[in-house]
Amino acid sequence: MNWIDIVTIMRDEWSIIGILILLLAGEILVDKKQLSMLIPIAIGLFVLHTAMSFIPGDKATLFGGMYRTNEMMHFMKAILNVAVLIILFQSYDWVKTTLLPNGMANAFYMLLFAVLSGMYFLISAGDFIMFFIGFELSTLPIAAMAAFQLKEMRSTEAGIKLVLLAGLASGIMLYGISLMYAVTGTLYFDGFLSAYYHEPLLVFGFILFLSGLAFKISLVPFHFWAPDVYEGAPIAITSLLSVVSKAASVFILMILLLTVFKDLSDAWKMVLYILAVLTMTIGNLFALRQTNMKRFLAFSSIAQAGFILLGILAGGAVGAATVIYFVLIYVFTNLGAFGVIQAIKDESGKEDMTDYTGLYRTNPKLSLVLVLALFSLAGIPPVAGFFGKFFLFSAAAGKGYYILLIIAVINVTISLYYYLLPIRAMLLRTSDTPIPTTKSGNMMRIGLLICVAGIMILGLYSPVYSFVLGLTQSWL
Amino acid sequence: MTERIIFYILAFIMIVFSLMSVTSTKIIRSAIYLLGVLMATAGLYFLFNLNFLGAIQLTVYAGGIMVLIVIAILLTHHVGFGLPVPDKKHMILGWLAAMIGITISFFQFTTHTFKPKIGNLDDRVSKMGADMLHYGDGGFVLPFEVISILLLAGIIAAITIAKGGIPHLKKRLKSGQPTTVSSSTKKQ
Amino acid sequence: METGIQIGDVLLVTSIMFFIGVYGFVTRKNLIAVLMSLEIIINAAAINFVLINKLVFTTNLHGVFFTFFILAVAAVEVAIGLVIILNLYRLKDSIDPEEITTLKH
Repeated sequence: MNWIDIVTIMRDEWSIIGILILLLAGEILVDKKQLSMLIPIAIGLFVLHTAMSFIPGDKATLFGGMYRTNEMMHFMKAILNVAVLIILFQSYDWVKTTLLPNGMANAFYMLLFAVLSGMYFLISAGDFIMFFIGFELSTLPIAAMAAFQLKEMRSTEAGIKLVLLAGLASGIMLYGISLMYAVTGTLYFDGFLSAYYHEPLLVFGFILFLSGLAFKISLVPFHFWAPDVYEGAPIAITSLLSVVSKAASVFILMILLLTVFKDLSDAWKMVLYILAVLTMTIGNLFALRQTNMKRFLAFSSIAQAGFILLGILAGGAVGAATVIYFVLIYVFTNLGAFGVIQAIKDESGKEDMTDYTGLYRTNPKLSLVLVLALFSLAGIPPVAGFFGKFFLFSAAAGKGYYILLIIAVINVTISLYYYLLPIRAMLLRTSDTPIPTTKSGNMMRIGLLICVAGIMILGLYSPVYSFVLGLTQSWL
Repeated sequence: MTERIIFYILAFIMIVFSLMSVTSTKIIRSAIYLLGVLMATAGLYFLFNLNFLGAIQLTVYAGGIMVLIVIAILLTHHVGFGLPVPDKKHMILGWLAAMIGITISFFQFTTHTFKPKIGNLDDRVSKMGADMLHYGDGGFVLPFEVISILLLAGIIAAITIAKGGIPHLKKRLKSGQPTTVSSSTKKQ
Repeated sequence: METGIQIGDVLLVTSIMFFIGVYGFVTRKNLIAVLMSLEIIINAAAINFVLINKLVFTTNLHGVFFTFFILAVAAVEVAIGLVIILNLYRLKDSIDPEEITTLKH
C-alpha cells in the first residue's frame, strides 16, 4: 500500500471530504451577504462528485483491513450519491427560503456531506471500530439537521427523539459488539467468527447487535421512533432518513450477514424471518390509518423495509442483487413521492391527505409524478417497483420461503388499497378548496425529472439487473 | 488480593451510583452520582494500569461531558428541581426489562468458559501513540481521521443550532415577553 | 498485577450497569436525565472493551482503542443532544419536562 493507492482507491471519500472542507473555508472566508453563492457551488461540486462515482471502482483492502472496497460497494456508494443529489435538487427552494436567511444553508450542506462520508465509511468498514464510527457519523448529524427548523416545536422534538433513540441503539449495539469480542477476541471482520459460532454468548451479543442495526432500518418492533421523527423533521431530512440512511443501513446489514456472520445464519435467519413478517404486516396496518402524507409515507417505507429482508433471507449472489436492485428503485420511487410533497408544502404549506383531493385539476404534472411514484411503491406492473418486488419474491421463492412469500403477497394486496386511496382522491375527486396551482422552481423540476426517468428506465430497461447481478457474483 | 478488593469496592460504587443516578428525584444529584460512576470507571482503568486511558476518561468524560450536562441543567432547571416519580407502567416495564436482561447475561457469563489470558498487554503510552498513527496492519490512523470529521460535524451542528436561535430570542426580549428564567422560577 | 480478577465478574458488573441504564432510559421523563442514563449504558460497554482487551485477548490494543473512539462519539452525542434540548427549552419557555417530553409512547 502506498499513498497513490490511498488516493485513487478512496477517491469517493477524498472528494466528498474535499467538498466539505471547501465549504467550511467558504463559510469562514466569504462575506456574510454573499453566502448564498455557496449554494450553487455546493450543488455543482456534488454533481461532479456523483458523475465521478460512476467510474467503476477496484477491489482493495487498505489500512490493515480497516477499509475494504470492491466494485459492488462502489456501486452502492454511487446509488447513495444519486439519492443525495436528488435530495439536493429537491431541497433547493426550501434551503433558499428557510435556511439561508438564518445563515444555516451552508451548514446544511456541510452536515449532509459529512453524513454521506459516514455512509461511505459504514459500507466500506473492515472492522467494528470503523463500522461504529461510520454508524454514528451517518446518524448524529441527521439528528441535528432534523432540528434545523428552529422555531418549530415538532422539528426540534424530532431532533431530540432521534438523538436519544439513536444513542440507545448505538449503546445496545456497542454492548452486543463487546460481548462478541469477549468470545472471538478480534474486532476485524476478516476471520471474526472463525470457529465460535456455536457459543450462546456470541449469539446473545449478536442479537443485541442486530437490534441496534434494526433501529436504524426501523424494523418492527424497533420502529416506534420513525413515524414521529419523519413527521416532525423537515421534508428534505425525512427523505434523507427514510431513503439514504435506510439504504446505507440495509447495504451494511446485507454485507455483514452474508459475509461476516455467514456461519451464524441459523440464528439470524430465524430472527430476520420474524422481523420481516412483523415489519411488513404492522407497517401496512398502520399505514392504512394515516392522514398526514409524510406519516403515511413513513409507515409505507417501514413496510417496504420488511420486503427488503426477503432478499437478505434468500441470500447468495441472487438475493444480494435483488436487494441492491430493489433499493435502487426504492430511491427513485420514494424520493419522487417526497419531492412532490415538498413542492406542495413549499408552495401552500399543506401536507394532509385530504388537501390533496382534486390535485389533478390544479397541478396535473405534480399529481402525475406522485401517481407514478405510488404505483411504483405499490408494485403495479409497468413501472419499476413491480420488478423490484418481483425479483425479491422470486429470490425468496427460489430458497423455499413459501409461507413468508404468501404473507408478503397478502401484504402487497393490502398496500395496493392504501396506495390507491390518495390516487383516487387526486384524480377522481373534486374539492372545494383545492391546492392552488403551484409553480415549482427549476431545481425541483430537475429533481423530479430524475426520479421519473429512474422509475421509467428501471422498469423498461432490463440490463441494469444483470449488471447488479454481475457485481454481486464477483463479490460473493 | 488487594487488587481484587479494590475492584469489588469500585464495582460496588459503580453499581450503587448508577442505580442512584437513574432513580434520584433531584436532577443535580443525579448528575453528581453519574459523575461518581464515571470517576469510579477511571479508577478501574488506573487499577488495571491503563493510566493514559484513565486520564482520558477523567478529562473527557468526567471533565468535559459532565460539565456540559451540569451547565445544561443549570441553564434549564431550578437548582432544587425535583424530577417526577416515574409512573407505574414504565417502572414495571423498566424493571422487567432490566431483570430479564441481567438474568440472561448472568447465565451466559456463568456458563461460558472464557479463554485464558495469554501474555501481557503492551499498554505503554508510546505503543498507543505509535499505533494511533500507524497506517499498516494493526494501525488506527483511519478511524482517528474519520472521528475528526465526526467531531467537525458535531461542532458545526451545535454552533448552527445554538446561533440560529439568537435572532429569535432577541425578538422575544424586545417584544417584552417574559424571559425564560423568570417564567421558570415562577413555576417552581 | 490484577491477579484474581475474573473477566466473568467484570462482565457481570457492566451488565448490571448496562441494564440499570436501560431502566433509566425507559422510566425517566426528563430529557437531560434520559441523556444521563444513556451515558451509563455507553460507559458500561466501554469498560467491557477495555477489560476484555486487558484480561483476555492481549495480542493487540483493539479494545482500548475502541474505548477512545467511544469516548469521542459520546462527547459529540451529548453536545448535539444538549444543544437541541436547549433549543427546545428556548421554544417552550418552560422547564417542565412533562410538557416538553413527547418521547413516551
